[in-house]
Amino acid sequence: MKHRPYALLAELTYQCPLHCPYCSNPAQYPAGQELSTAEWARVFHEAAELGVLHLGLSGGEPLARRDLAELVAAAREAGLYSNLITSSLGLDRKRLIGLREAGLDSIQISFQADEAELGDAIAGTRAHVRKLEAARLVPECGLPLTLNVVLHRGNIDRLAQIIALAESLGAVRLELANTQYYGWGHLNRAQLLPTRAQVEEAGRIAAEAKARLAGKTDVIYVLPDLYEARPKPCMQGWGQRYLTVNPIGNVLPCPNATSIPRLLFDSVREHPLTWIWNDSPAFNAFRGTAWMPLPCRECPQREIDFGGCRCQAALLTGDARATDPVCELAPQRHLVDEILASVNAAAPGAWAPRQNP
Amino acid sequence: MPPIDPNSRPARAPGVRLQLDKVSGEPVLLFPEGVLELNDTAHAILNLCNGATTVNEIVAALAQEYEVEPEVLRADALECLGDLLKQRLIVFQ
Repeated sequence: MKHRPYALLAELTYQCPLHCPYCSNPAQYPAGQELSTAEWARVFHEAAELGVLHLGLSGGEPLARRDLAELVAAAREAGLYSNLITSSLGLDRKRLIGLREAGLDSIQISFQADEAELGDAIAGTRAHVRKLEAARLVPECGLPLTLNVVLHRGNIDRLAQIIALAESLGAVRLELANTQYYGWGHLNRAQLLPTRAQVEEAGRIAAEAKARLAGKTDVIYVLPDLYEARPKPCMQGWGQRYLTVNPIGNVLPCPNATSIPRLLFDSVREHPLTWIWNDSPAFNAFRGTAWMPLPCRECPQREIDFGGCRCQAALLTGDARATDPVCELAPQRHLVDEILASVNAAAPGAWAPRQNP
Repeated sequence: MPPIDPNSRPARAPGVRLQLDKVSGEPVLLFPEGVLELNDTAHAILNLCNGATTVNEIVAALAQEYEVEPEVLRADALECLGDLLKQRLIVFQ
């Protein structure tokens, strides 16, 4: 087999108690019934047979699924390493122990800020204090805790305090992820995109923390790609290492792939996962380098950054085959420069809070 | 990092799982957002990182398995444990 997926992101539901304006869920949800417990269990087994090792249980809010412990048990039976990606709202000691007993391996909790007033304003609900309570339970119950904080114009200046929060909670891993502008994040880009000065200061603070906390907390700083000169190696290449199954069972090469017009996704309700991964049109649309336009096709970086992100190319240029306009060699880099110029000048207004289906 | 105490008992850290890869049949170590493909020595060592076996006992067990004197592989075993410790994949009890 040429390609083998290592990680499956299972989006169990689009329901979520938070309303974060940067959410990468689609701003227009696809219609359909959520997969059942038995359907997910089958997907986990098929994924494991295909080579998947890591399972992210995500959403929306995965705790909104009452059958979550059963799903964790099914993942363990399939031999997958399961990580719960959660807001933590609804996670109390009893539920946590139940998940651990079912075989959950690790937990990633999102924080919106280091303190309640700002955090609750971003989440659109009273969440921060409840997150603190839940996060403290995780190491107590013997599970490794990852904190994930999505950074944007509204919280990036609190980075030092956010890092201190992660230290105080005993996180083994801290993901400081600059917003990726897809889904709700794309809608709210003008309100969320930080200034260049903010980004540069944050980069310095993150690098200092990474060095200082080595051996204690892994600090991962995800660069804000619009400010880069070369594109990110999105998903380590289309259909190379990752797959996502959304709440209604459609299989996506990346969680944001529904933002690509006219690309059709096959469902686990109609096809085996192996066929979808190996043979479906969506997974082969941008695999390898044959699809690439110039300058990507002849670029020495083509097997390193894979031409960047197809979703970003589609959202900004209207053509998913275009070179990611983040690239300084892209014919349409001016689109990114125009975004940066306008955002750096504009005062942010109100964002659109994420809504449930 | 201080030297490893030969009488300490290493254990796999919380959330670190040792298993066989279904595709390759080879041992892998799984942890949050990561996979480590293991060579035979690392696999043998991690199998014994159970919180009950001391570093000295691990070295002795490896020596018996490979039919060599413990001193021949002590340095390699300590280096492997040091690497795992640095990545927080093991803890000492």
